[in-house]
Amino acid sequence: MRFQKRRSRVRVDRLTMNLASMIDVTFLLLVYFIVSTVMARPEDQLTSAIQTRDAESAGAEIDYQPQVVEVVAIDGVPFYVIGNRRLGDLAGLRRVLEDLPTELGVFIRVSADLPVDFALAAVQAARDAGFEQVTYVPQD
Amino acid sequence: MVELTPMIDVVFLLIVFFMVTSEFARDVRADLELPQLEGEQRPEPEEAGLIINIRADGAIVLSVSDEPMDLIELGVRLRAVFSEEGASEARVLVRADARASTTRLNEVVRLLHDAGVGSTRMGTEVPSERSAP
Repeated sequence: MRFQKRRSRVRVDRLTMNLASMIDVTFLLLVYFIVSTVMARPEDQLTSAIQTRDAESAGAEIDYQPQVVEVVAIDGVPFYVIGNRRLGDLAGLRRVLEDLPTELGVFIRVSADLPVDFALAAVQAARDAGFEQVTYVPQD
Repeated sequence: MVELTPMIDVVFLLIVFFMVTSEFARDVRADLELPQLEGEQRPEPEEAGLIINIRADGAIVLSVSDEPMDLIELGVRLRAVFSEEGASEARVLVRADARASTTRLNEVVRLLHDAGVGSTRMGTEVPSERSAP
């Protein structure tokens, strides 16, 4: 008896994937992120203690003369006053502060009629000079 | 035949999600020109806590979507926040525009002091080109 070997006809189906839709989605997301991205500028901070003039005058516990930097406007021009010295630039203030003892801390008193820029620049100068304890005293 | 409907659903869902979350992220930081200063340069970023924004014209806002508020309203808001957290432990970041008057900054700082806050942090913008020491 002869058996005829039946030739199996295997159907090979190629599995294909349509990538077009995925690429569409990817580009759509990409465009969305490009459009919606807001380039955030890097920020930092300056920490300072707060003391008001009332609290300062009532502070009988302080038995030493605090080191005070006054930021004032003279004829519309900002100056940094420390002791008898009047400094017009931040680098000069930084140099003077570097010569002071840092362990006592420093008070920053800012006159009310100046831009915020000058107030924070004084705080920054004190930090750069190595003062850990910087106290901000708002003026009227 | 690829069914496109679920894919489109997912795409729109993703878009809505990102739109909503990005609004939340931008909400508390108003677009201000902060003073160009290095700051403290701490190695690890700190939690921002309560953020008070002072615009160049002196307007005070707690978040971008808020209407500007006066000092009385800010005082009320601060008392409400600090009644839950406690003012002495509160973390406050004041983001004041470099062009704003210190009159407004001083008023806000005095208000914080009166509310019992012992120290505050003031926001700066790190200059893009760091000057050589």
